[in-house]
Amino acid sequence: MKKFKILLIGQPNVGKSSLLNALVGPRVVVSNYPGTTVEITKAKKRFNKTEIEFVDTPGIYSISDRSEEEKVTENALFEENDGAIVIADAISLERSLYMALQILEAKIPTILALNFVEDAEKKGIRIDYEKLKGVLHIPVIPINPLTKKGIDKLVDTVTKIKSVSKTSFTVEYDDHIESAINEISSQIKETDISKRFISVRTLEGDEDFFKFLKNDDVIRKAKKKLKGHPKVEEDITITRYGTASFIAEKVTQITPLLEQEKNLQDEIDRILLHKIGGPLTTVAFLFATFGGLLYLGNLIQGFLTGVTESLLSSIATAEHSVLTMVLVNGLTGIAIGVSIALPYVFLFYLLLGLLEDIGILSRFIVNAEIFLKGLGLPGKAFIPLALGLGCTAPATRATRVLVSKEEQFHTASLFAFVPCSSRIAIIMGIVGFYGGMKLALSVFITSFVAGLIWAFGIKKVFKKQNEPLLLELPPYRKPLIENVLAKSWIRMKGFVYLVIPLLALGGVTYGILDMLNLTNIIIEPLSPITVWLGLPNETVIPIIFGFLQKDLTGTMLLSVLGSEISLALNNLQIYTFGVATTIGIPCIIALGMIIKEFGFKKAILLTVTSMVYGILFAGLAWRIFCCLF
Amino acid sequence: MVKEDILRLLSEISERIKVETIKDEIKVAHPFISKALEELERDGLINIQEKFISLTELGQEKAKTILEKHLVLEDYFKKTKSTIDAHIAAHILEHYVSRKVIDIIKKLSTLKKEGVPLTKFKLNKEGLITEINVSDYKLFERAVSMGLFPGEKIRVISEISHGIVLKVTNKKIALDRSVAERIKALEYEEI
Repeated sequence: MKKFKILLIGQPNVGKSSLLNALVGPRVVVSNYPGTTVEITKAKKRFNKTEIEFVDTPGIYSISDRSEEEKVTENALFEENDGAIVIADAISLERSLYMALQILEAKIPTILALNFVEDAEKKGIRIDYEKLKGVLHIPVIPINPLTKKGIDKLVDTVTKIKSVSKTSFTVEYDDHIESAINEISSQIKETDISKRFISVRTLEGDEDFFKFLKNDDVIRKAKKKLKGHPKVEEDITITRYGTASFIAEKVTQITPLLEQEKNLQDEIDRILLHKIGGPLTTVAFLFATFGGLLYLGNLIQGFLTGVTESLLSSIATAEHSVLTMVLVNGLTGIAIGVSIALPYVFLFYLLLGLLEDIGILSRFIVNAEIFLKGLGLPGKAFIPLALGLGCTAPATRATRVLVSKEEQFHTASLFAFVPCSSRIAIIMGIVGFYGGMKLALSVFITSFVAGLIWAFGIKKVFKKQNEPLLLELPPYRKPLIENVLAKSWIRMKGFVYLVIPLLALGGVTYGILDMLNLTNIIIEPLSPITVWLGLPNETVIPIIFGFLQKDLTGTMLLSVLGSEISLALNNLQIYTFGVATTIGIPCIIALGMIIKEFGFKKAILLTVTSMVYGILFAGLAWRIFCCLF
Repeated sequence: MVKEDILRLLSEISERIKVETIKDEIKVAHPFISKALEELERDGLINIQEKFISLTELGQEKAKTILEKHLVLEDYFKKTKSTIDAHIAAHILEHYVSRKVIDIIKKLSTLKKEGVPLTKFKLNKEGLITEINVSDYKLFERAVSMGLFPGEKIRVISEISHGIVLKVTNKKIALDRSVAERIKALEYEEI
């Protein structure tokens, strides 16, 4: 059987995910929002006698070393593959060609798939595919992933990709630059990568390619010869875009439309992108959905807890042995996991996926910029912060949508105050259940205030220039439900496979410690903390174990204090407990993720600082409360 | 590209010149020039007689359009006070910019009107980008790759508190004020 490995490359919102959907089905779905996927996803499919592996890359505007997404795609270009499908947008051909021309510079066998052909025709834009094919010297195939038009032909062309000519169109730069390219090319180490591509990238200042040069002086020398030439990098960009628009104009015929009709898209944007209306609607919408989710989550959680409790009690009544202990504690862990995962995590990701696919999310980012700018963060930080309301671990990974490592870490530091679903469950399930909803709300407000104070303080630590807003707003679309479902599942998969087993394990560990009576060893030395918090000494157990697994906090509080919490703690203590467990890096899984992204030192620094800050704040908060009432 | 430069040079001097003069004027490796000359002669654009070169009638016509393009662009870049040196920028762009853009730029430069920063551009009016002046290269490259390029049609559709939203190459793009004020455009009605 013949096997092919093909890259899928395209600018954001070019219909890459729907093409992949049409090619392999909704198994692998990538978001239409630029930047939510910063990883490569692969999907294999058999077509008759051939097997094609599609390697999906993050949507980017050009090959560059500017951000994580672009680097990921750049690296994918030179991993073993048979060629690439570049997806172009017929509505905005010159822009698509800009990137396509870059891919052609890399001398990889390329097929151009032209999407949105019908939409373009509605706008009076008609593209001559044959002519485009003639100019670029590569196959050009009009597609429509929704009606599957052109998909068979695309697959067929992929199987013949070996015969795609390698002498495709190449952008020709200014003479001086061309001679610099020649000079650099002669100083490149032995490699499979196109020497011209390496030369151009190094001239553009992409440091990732400097390793291919025989010595470091090559670029400096070449640039010295170019002295007196205007900015070389800009020149390269201008020439490339100029060439792209020149080709686009050559192959496009535009029939101007007489009157631009008012459309719903613009009408919605009139509100969502309004100077004042936009931010207001965004905030209102967020509060409404957050409240709605809490309400719905509470309902589902109540039902699920009822079911699992009755199940567990039937096991627990059996004889007391190590085995039943392991079983009961393990199952409790799983039960808690499910009752959080299903209502909070899944509902939340489902909603987020919907907003994303409809196209509203990018408008929210634009509006969030106003608020986040005050905290020294770009609007894009909205995505990881919103994801943080689900689970901190995947949200930490999502900070990659931000350009610099510093911006990423700055955002991650705020996760200490964005209650994840587990923390929300504590606030609702413990504070809300035993102390009432008003008390739960004050915990939310307290941690929000704590977060604001932290954010304004930490803003001064990160003395960085923020990435200015430059964001495409995709047209509103009807979401494909299977896409949204698949995406929500992919996002919560980590939670299900990683967090739930750890929950079970944490439960068992605690059971063993408890059986051996080891828990008391921890309680004594840590009593200063509980004294400061005005809580009974035993409560340090759920606080400490909460870090191993947040969702165990509730069960442990019950097991150290007995099931009548209201008798052991007064309302103020319940509130303090809630605040102390909410603020901080929630759990060891999140810590692991932060270590992975930012290194051990930074991660520990953040975890310890935020934990100390949280405990100090909680102690202060109840004292203030005490004086007030 | 060398070919266009040779033709332009010939028409600027407007008499027959030595091959050596060309080799001095155009700073490109000599083999490239010899190859270009060969091809030009084959295409019937120039005559080479005993080391002297002159334009044929066909060549003169072709050179005229190249020269015009060059002058238009040079003039334009001088007027817009672009960061790029006007003469050299014109020299780069003349090879790539299409006839349509040249016509527009010609109009722009004869108008003696400068574009206004996008932050001050009238809402919902169509216009053309005339200048992009972002000094951070990576940001400049990102802006260009999103279609913010001189000659592209734009429409500012909304003002937001920290910038604007515009339509370019049929796509909506939100732009921070700090970037928007460094891009200039002219209204169609003024062109």
